[in-house]
Amino acid sequence: MVSPGALRVVRCGGGAQRGARAVYLLYASGDFVKVHSVNTEETLRLLCGHADLVTDIQLNPHNHMQLYSSSLDGTIKLWDFMDGIPIKTFTVGSKLLALYALAGAEDSVFVVIPKKGERDTFQLVSVKLTKGAGQDLEGKELSVVLDGVGASPKQIAFGREDSYVVSVKDVNLQVYFFKRKLLNRFSLSAAKTKGGDNRFSCVVCHPTEDCIATGHADGKIRLWRNFHHKKAYTYSALHWHHDIVMDLAYSLEGTRLLSGGVESVLVQWHNESSCQKDFLPRLGSPIDCISMSSDGVLCCTLHTDNRISIINSNLRFSRSIQGLIKSRDVKTGLVVDPRTKALVLNGEPGHLQFYSLQSDQQLFSLDIVQRQYIHQAGLKQSDLVKVAFSARGTWLATVEESEEVADPELQLKLWFYSEETQSFALNTRINTPHDNHITDMCFRDMDELGDDSLILVTTGRDCVFKVWVMVEDSDPEAHQSVSWSCDFVGSYHNYQATNCCFSEDGSLLAVSFEETVTVWDSLTWDLKCTFCHPPGNIRNICFGRLTCSKYLIGATDYGFLCCWNLLTCALEWSAHLNVVVLQPDPLSEHIAAVSWLSKESSLFVFKPSEPWPVYIQRNLCKEKILLAAFVPRDEPEMISSEKYLWLRKSQLFFLTDTQELMTLSTKSLEERLTPSSKQLAVEESLPVTPFSVLLGKHRRQQAQEDTDLGKPVVHSKQEQASPAVKELLHTPAHVLPSASFLCTIFINSLLISKENKSAEEVADEVEMESEKADDESDEEDVTAMEEEDTSHVELLGEMTSKLSKSQEKELRKIRKMDYSWISAF
Amino acid sequence: MGEFEVHRVRFFGLVPAGVRCLACHPRGTRLALARTDGAVEVYNFAANYFQEKVIPGHEARSVESLCWAAGDRLFGAGLGGDITEYDLAGLSAARGLDGGGGPIWSMVANSTGTQLAIGCEDGSVKIFQVVPGGIQFERNLDRRKGRVLCLSWHPSDTHIVAGSIDFFRVIDVTSGQTVQRVMVNHHVEKARRECVVWAIALLSSGTVVSADSFGRVQFWDWEQGTLAESHTVSTSAVLSLAVSQKEDSMIVGTSTGATYHLQLLPVRLGGLEKRWVRTKPFQFHSHDVRAVAHSPTALISGGLDAQLVIRPLMEKVQKKGYDAVLRKFTFPHRRLVSCARKARLLLFQFSQYLELWRLGSTEETGKDGEVLPLCRMPEHLVQLKSKGPEHIYCSCVSPCGTWLGYSTASRFQLYRVRCDGDGVSLRKV
Repeated sequence: MVSPGALRVVRCGGGAQRGARAVYLLYASGDFVKVHSVNTEETLRLLCGHADLVTDIQLNPHNHMQLYSSSLDGTIKLWDFMDGIPIKTFTVGSKLLALYALAGAEDSVFVVIPKKGERDTFQLVSVKLTKGAGQDLEGKELSVVLDGVGASPKQIAFGREDSYVVSVKDVNLQVYFFKRKLLNRFSLSAAKTKGGDNRFSCVVCHPTEDCIATGHADGKIRLWRNFHHKKAYTYSALHWHHDIVMDLAYSLEGTRLLSGGVESVLVQWHNESSCQKDFLPRLGSPIDCISMSSDGVLCCTLHTDNRISIINSNLRFSRSIQGLIKSRDVKTGLVVDPRTKALVLNGEPGHLQFYSLQSDQQLFSLDIVQRQYIHQAGLKQSDLVKVAFSARGTWLATVEESEEVADPELQLKLWFYSEETQSFALNTRINTPHDNHITDMCFRDMDELGDDSLILVTTGRDCVFKVWVMVEDSDPEAHQSVSWSCDFVGSYHNYQATNCCFSEDGSLLAVSFEETVTVWDSLTWDLKCTFCHPPGNIRNICFGRLTCSKYLIGATDYGFLCCWNLLTCALEWSAHLNVVVLQPDPLSEHIAAVSWLSKESSLFVFKPSEPWPVYIQRNLCKEKILLAAFVPRDEPEMISSEKYLWLRKSQLFFLTDTQELMTLSTKSLEERLTPSSKQLAVEESLPVTPFSVLLGKHRRQQAQEDTDLGKPVVHSKQEQASPAVKELLHTPAHVLPSASFLCTIFINSLLISKENKSAEEVADEVEMESEKADDESDEEDVTAMEEEDTSHVELLGEMTSKLSKSQEKELRKIRKMDYSWISAF
Repeated sequence: MGEFEVHRVRFFGLVPAGVRCLACHPRGTRLALARTDGAVEVYNFAANYFQEKVIPGHEARSVESLCWAAGDRLFGAGLGGDITEYDLAGLSAARGLDGGGGPIWSMVANSTGTQLAIGCEDGSVKIFQVVPGGIQFERNLDRRKGRVLCLSWHPSDTHIVAGSIDFFRVIDVTSGQTVQRVMVNHHVEKARRECVVWAIALLSSGTVVSADSFGRVQFWDWEQGTLAESHTVSTSAVLSLAVSQKEDSMIVGTSTGATYHLQLLPVRLGGLEKRWVRTKPFQFHSHDVRAVAHSPTALISGGLDAQLVIRPLMEKVQKKGYDAVLRKFTFPHRRLVSCARKARLLLFQFSQYLELWRLGSTEETGKDGEVLPLCRMPEHLVQLKSKGPEHIYCSCVSPCGTWLGYSTASRFQLYRVRCDGDGVSLRKV
């Protein structure tokens, strides 16, 4: 029922080699492995089947179309990642922390498992992969290779031709030679002298020579040679990084060494010389992992904020794959952008990210703080702490503050969405809106009244709440017509204001002051009434919606959930529940409350009118849920079970303290991939022979025409982003008919035909006439739609004849070539 | 324990002379060292690295190069243009012979120690025969323009490689002809600057190793004249280079004070293909490292900061002991200060003069570690300059403070010191 969203990319494997180019990028993400096309930047497949975190993935060295993956659930799976099918599952039993597949050992792989009976001790074992008929096999034949290894996959590497294995941990390096059964241990001094810190962080082996490169905590890279001698071993050092080297990677021939760390700079060392090096700076965030593609053309870096950058071999940034950016601390909460339905939260430092849940992609990142971020420990940075959208998404309010506790530099910024530039533009900046931290902020949500009624309320620890309104700018020289200024300052007994919330119709404002909830009239700013449920400060408040709008819900940090009736000004009911998150659904009466008790989170969904919950999900997840948001669905989902009826109009998303995004879904795991991308994958996987090219061209043209025919019909219904246009854009250029040929269809599809218009007008009229009788108008609508459809078919009748002519020409051409070529065989 | 007054003598302004060149005895038991003031020192490795012999310098004699030849004979050559043999028993420069080619920049002995080759300012390379009782000019090799800064014999004594500014050349000893001339400043963007080959070595495989002022250590095939490998070890000049006798390890010294160890290591374990790899950097010196030497078990470097550093190679040292310790010779190992106990006088010996000081005194007493206030500041009584170009060997002051003596290589002087009140007078005896 609970499906974690895309977050926590663990390790990326290289691309699969096909022809001469790396085509796929595979990476582990949570419980899944994702197959990503490098060319089209789309996620092609989601390999799901593991029951826990996928720790490592490795391409099968004997078959580049297959992939091994290991997981904390104790299984190794062999996948055909082209088709997304699990081929084999080997059950090992204990947690698998890293996986290594070698070309030399056909029937065994190496995994890191925790040592039995000892905590925090790990060992490298080889697992014999039994050959059996079934899909589920046992992998119980373990033989220990190395003891006392590190838990991270980066701390073990296999050397040239898999003749030895290297493991690093703390200040010790062990090399085990398989043939000679010789184990050499080397250790560096543990003392931290002159700012040096010799602890190992990662290790890689040279692909063709016997050289080991190790990264260290003080930023040094050591190149070890001659390590089969206990005494005569030697190493040289490369030093550029000022802090820990997070990962290293050798190029295919071993002439170049790539290193990355917290500086977010990729360094390329040539020929192991400390003087020849190249840099790729400004990669955005610290580099966590570096991976080379198996043909050496591309490399990718995985960043700590959950982003993958693909980099060319000449050290040029190519493209990036980013889902939800992992920020240091999500202070803004989960907010839904009413315009795009995207999830909005802290992104890169000082940025606001707009994350599309449908496509698992970042839509855009808005720079709020507009200051250069410097990676340095102890530096006080400004960061975004609060964000609020107006009901229709035209206004965005942000609050940023510096990290200093005593005297925070506060700024309240108001952004207006400009339709022309399709982005937010800064309208008003208010320095020091409050004298102390701002605790909460909300807009008055009133769809029907328009922008004139827009009010912003901020509450602060300086014991006041402030009301901000738009004013017309009297200055004729001003660039903008409106700006924001403070209208009212309210306070209550000099208590700190903690939360604020508007009722659904916008007439009432609830502000919580420590233990007390105050309700204010939003027209006159009179204090209407107060509620209190001692002991304990108010943690969350919200108003009921729709039929329950007469209720006000509050949660206290003494573990009480209270519901007050605003009409009687009395407590309706209260429940003993340690509520962490209280989130009302904007489209229904339901309110979701997430509690945190004895190390597990539980979800309660209730209606304020009833003191018993509609739905309870105990033990939602082990992590603490910090934030939640209801995201409205595009279309109400058909839900059969009464129990899940509250999920009909919107979907609930959670963010845990490990920054995992989770959602509740009634269905089993569904693929998010669109059919078009699936088709693409199939096309790419076809072996390309001249014959198939000719045949395929012919077939695809037909298919294309079919879709093209279907397109305008769909298009007239949905103005933009219709699936047909998407299809057109997603189809590779080489299978598309010529541009001149496509042009007329495309232009035609954009035009609105006369018949169509009249039909719509008719429909409008019908709607206006029959406002009261809903059923009737619905029927009318249906008929109008049917009219539209028929009109389009008529219109397209001409085009089909056109298409077939030009198509015939091409077919003739193809036939001529075709026969001559075949006759040669 | 009795009570002591500890004087902090901060007025001995000795400026030690930097190390100019090093010469390791072929058998690895002795090390000869020349300083920039012309002094030559001999260390005995067998006797716990004891500074065995010191031959003080001479105004007119600078030493650019030292070498051991014909057993235990030590020769030095310098910018004065002379080749000098040192009398190690009498601790003096014994015999000198004019090289005849202007200032001598380098001198090397062949593997048997029978011949010396010198590289001169005028671009000539001359061969001298080592004969009993001295040396004898043998022949001139092919002369080209440009001073010869460094030389190296092939272990089989058939060829000599000579490094100059911008190029080096390989000379056939028997014919005396230049067989290869290689420009080293190719493929460098800053080629307008001259590239000085500061040090060179010719390995038995025919590989020429050159160290130049662009900070590169380059490996050349001398027959083809092609560059095999290039290691840019430093951004500043590489000044010195020494190869071990097995030719599997070398040390280079740079002008930043860092020394680097290069090793010939197998590319694959157990494989035959080997490659030179820069391994460990050492930063022992604060100034230019003008001289390095490679003994069988240690890397030796001497810099202009007057330090001599012997860094043992751990893998070559068999047992943990006295040999396996890093040693630094920072202080002069000679008695340069003598004390007149009764008169509370100190005599400091500099290379060309002596200084006589009276210690400060105090009347107070205090606990351990306390600094006592002085009632009388230390006083500089007299500075005595020696006459002639020779440096002072040794000096002494009598315990009563009335007699003061010093000696140079050829003379001994004794003075009587008379203190009357504030004035001090010296009278030569």
